[in-house]
Amino acid sequence: MKSKFLKFLALFLTITVVAAACGSDSDGDDAAPATTAAAAATTTAQVEVVAEGSLLDVVQARGTLNCGVSGSAVAFSETQADGSVTGIDADFCRAVAAAVIGDAGAVNFVALTASERFTAVQTGDVDVLMRNTTWTQSRDSSVGMDFGPTTYYDGQQLMARVADGFSGSSTVADIDGAVVCTNVGTTTEKNIAEAALLAGADITLLGFETSDEVYDTFINGGCDITTTDGSALVGRKVKMQPADQEWVIFPATPISKEPLGPTYGQNDSAWADAVNWTVYAMIIMDEYGVTSANVDATCAEAEAEVARLCGGDGELQTAMGLSADAFHQVIKQVGSYGEVYDRNLNPVGLYREGSANAGWLDGGLIYSPPAR
Amino acid sequence: MSELSSTTGNLEVPYTPPPATPHLAPREWVRANLFSTPFNSVLTVMSALILATIGRGLLSFLFNPIRQWDATATNLRLLMTQAYPEEQYLRVWVCTAVILILTGLSLAVWRAGSHVPVTKVGRNLLATGAVVALMTLLAPFSASATVQWLVAAAVVAGAGETLRRGVGMRASASGAGGSDESGDQVATISTLTLIAIALGGLVASLWVVPYGHHSYLMDRTPRVLAEPGTVAMTTKLPWTIMLLIVVAATFLGRSMRDRLPTNATRATLLVAWLLAPPTLLYLVLRDPSFDMGHVLGTDLPIFGAYAIGGGLLLSWLTRPTTGEIGRIVAAVVLVVGFCTFLTPMRMIVRIDMLMLASFALAAPTFAGGPRARRRYVTGWLGVLGVSSWLITAINTPSTVDVPGDFFIGGLSLTFIVAVFTIVVSFPLGILLALARTSTMPIFRLLATWFIEFVRGVPLITILIFFSIMVPLFLPRGMELGEVAAVVIGYALFSSAYLAENVRGGLQSVTRGQHEAAEAVGMTTGQKTVFIVLPQALRVSIPPLVGHCIGVFKETSLLAIIGLFDVLYIARVVMPNQTEFMGSTRENVLFVSLIYWIFAYQMSKASMRLERRTGLGER
Repeated sequence: MKSKFLKFLALFLTITVVAAACGSDSDGDDAAPATTAAAAATTTAQVEVVAEGSLLDVVQARGTLNCGVSGSAVAFSETQADGSVTGIDADFCRAVAAAVIGDAGAVNFVALTASERFTAVQTGDVDVLMRNTTWTQSRDSSVGMDFGPTTYYDGQQLMARVADGFSGSSTVADIDGAVVCTNVGTTTEKNIAEAALLAGADITLLGFETSDEVYDTFINGGCDITTTDGSALVGRKVKMQPADQEWVIFPATPISKEPLGPTYGQNDSAWADAVNWTVYAMIIMDEYGVTSANVDATCAEAEAEVARLCGGDGELQTAMGLSADAFHQVIKQVGSYGEVYDRNLNPVGLYREGSANAGWLDGGLIYSPPAR
Repeated sequence: MSELSSTTGNLEVPYTPPPATPHLAPREWVRANLFSTPFNSVLTVMSALILATIGRGLLSFLFNPIRQWDATATNLRLLMTQAYPEEQYLRVWVCTAVILILTGLSLAVWRAGSHVPVTKVGRNLLATGAVVALMTLLAPFSASATVQWLVAAAVVAGAGETLRRGVGMRASASGAGGSDESGDQVATISTLTLIAIALGGLVASLWVVPYGHHSYLMDRTPRVLAEPGTVAMTTKLPWTIMLLIVVAATFLGRSMRDRLPTNATRATLLVAWLLAPPTLLYLVLRDPSFDMGHVLGTDLPIFGAYAIGGGLLLSWLTRPTTGEIGRIVAAVVLVVGFCTFLTPMRMIVRIDMLMLASFALAAPTFAGGPRARRRYVTGWLGVLGVSSWLITAINTPSTVDVPGDFFIGGLSLTFIVAVFTIVVSFPLGILLALARTSTMPIFRLLATWFIEFVRGVPLITILIFFSIMVPLFLPRGMELGEVAAVVIGYALFSSAYLAENVRGGLQSVTRGQHEAAEAVGMTTGQKTVFIVLPQALRVSIPPLVGHCIGVFKETSLLAIIGLFDVLYIARVVMPNQTEFMGSTRENVLFVSLIYWIFAYQMSKASMRLERRTGLGER
């Protein structure tokens, strides 16, 4: 009886132990005596997260930036056929890596679902979140996030068929009695319900799991209106509008404000400064017309603000814990704000001219504090 | 009754085969089976109409020009491996080659004997041609396309008919000279040859048929490249080499079968299959760069000490005359193992000690003559060798330069998780089932609680718990990869269900079997290992395979914790590429075909296994 007991106990233990050991990438050798010093030297360097220091030092010591993206958002972060990640969010990840580490390729993209993104920041799985995340009061306060400068001003709009009597000047009040399709589990559902209530319109909401289902239903006449962020609507209109239909996006002023930008854990000023000023540098360089093509030539003979950002006289990057040419590298390896925007958003029909994402000199909202 | 007598063999009752099914001409068969009564005729016509409508709908979906099939073609790499670096693809091909060599050897060793009549092949080809022709008429093709497809169908059907007629005539010609059986024997073809011809045709078509080349160019401005009419050398060359490898392996296997003892060959192959997943995974994902000085100086001496010391100990313990003192020694080893495990020491020493303890405890079960003892010690050396290699490899830095976590996904991820979950949960499930049916209250209670608790919790909860919570509980300095954490959680979940399937099998083993085993003097361990488990597992084959198929398909839940499995890529990632918006339906259809192929192969394997073990016949 006793031996049987021991037998099973031993078997159980062995299996658990082997399973646990096989799963781990590094074992408990750290407490081993001196004989294992050689082993410790051969294993990959482990970076301890120091509670006191800034994430900036951790990322620089690690040599890669863990950047949280969606991995499946048209023009923002798409996973391409070879597994690489492209899009405006992905490019801002690369820009931060270029500024902090000096290499735009030193990014480890982490695909996150909408529900796990904030947990991933809190547990330290990702250093910064570039996952088309809207800056809201609750996320800034109770969720424990901090938000960087807005890189894309989005807003929820509606799309309908011209044949149904809608035009660019239609308003939410005009959709009375319409069937509206949208994705479930997002704030778009709530926004349209609130907007319709305020406008006194009586609508029927249809929820779908994926965007493709929404647009299939819309094309086949299963609903009169589809609603989501304006950027997505424009992309779908460009790519999916059938020859026999004409779609229109309205109202001109979106029914919600969706400022999207980098998000990181709160109370880490050094890290926040590094991320924010990467974005600001890209905006300022764009204002001066500096691009990845002409940045080397421009920096060679630049004056004042551009010279400071290039790492010349009076530069402030070293004071932030970055290398002097950090932003030079950002522009060279990734591009200015305008370049990144055009590269990723023009193919889906989104242009800066006349939109909220034009520079402040052109009547838009993209604005940066001065670099001095 | 006669069959039973002939199998027992002692009674002189001749075996009479079951009466042959009368062979009906096609017209008579149709009348007897499809139009036997007016009601049946109506049913036949109705279902034929429904089938034709479904077929037409499917075909017009498939061949509609607005379908974005180039989305699937361009994204094949993403669907298969996600972001695995292209310059490391050689590793993947080496793995494929290893698996194909094993497959070729196994096919030759296990299935070399099976043949099919050529007439049957001809009939199948004829039927295929007829179906293709029917589909062509149903599909909304242009006139020229219809003619092309009809010609292709006619060629296939014609080949089938020639094969059937020609061989049939030759058979009847030879049948005139000899008996009917000899005619049948002439007109067969080995299944291996058939498979080789089919695969050869597929690979050859890569060189001949212009399938088109789809690729993705990563540049400042990324673009998708689609060149019609060519097949990339990086596609056709490796596949040709793979075909040659599998054919060579089959020939090698055939000569091995003739020269080597069958059972030993089969056992070796089975062990090789079992070792393949961890070894190949290491090759693809890590390929440890061993520090030879450290391996020779530390790891090998430890291995040697355990191999020699453990071997001697086990050889003594398995001696039938050792008796009660052996059990005491085994218990001491266990206590020592626990103490080593709790003291800080090299992981390899701790794990080996515990393994030695479990081997020592199980030793009396396998006690016997010199051969049995030698086998047990060899088993110990094998397990020790494999685990030492694994532990050493885990602690060695990887030579594969991969960009963090976000590089493995798609079908590879599905496979890795499914294979490891099944491999880990099988022994665990059997142990749980044994514990739950044992007479020892602590184990019974623990196993019951575990099973009932795990079965009461949804899989999603377990996956989220293991991917998010468990890494927080780990001691400082210990890291658990997300995939590894998920596999552990999923294996625990799966083992609870598996345990219940096995328990059903255990209950089907009658009391008489237990008593008979006890009557010949077997210990409880021997009875379980040699009498009860084989019968129980045999009975549980259908539910166990069903469970494996379920595990394979449920890996799609990985999407919930942000891992990109093949279905998630098809459903969410690919339709969100600028180029391929709105391609969900095509992608999902393609992925469901992949799922079906593998699930169907699993159930076919299960059917073969059931036939071999005689399940359902007695």
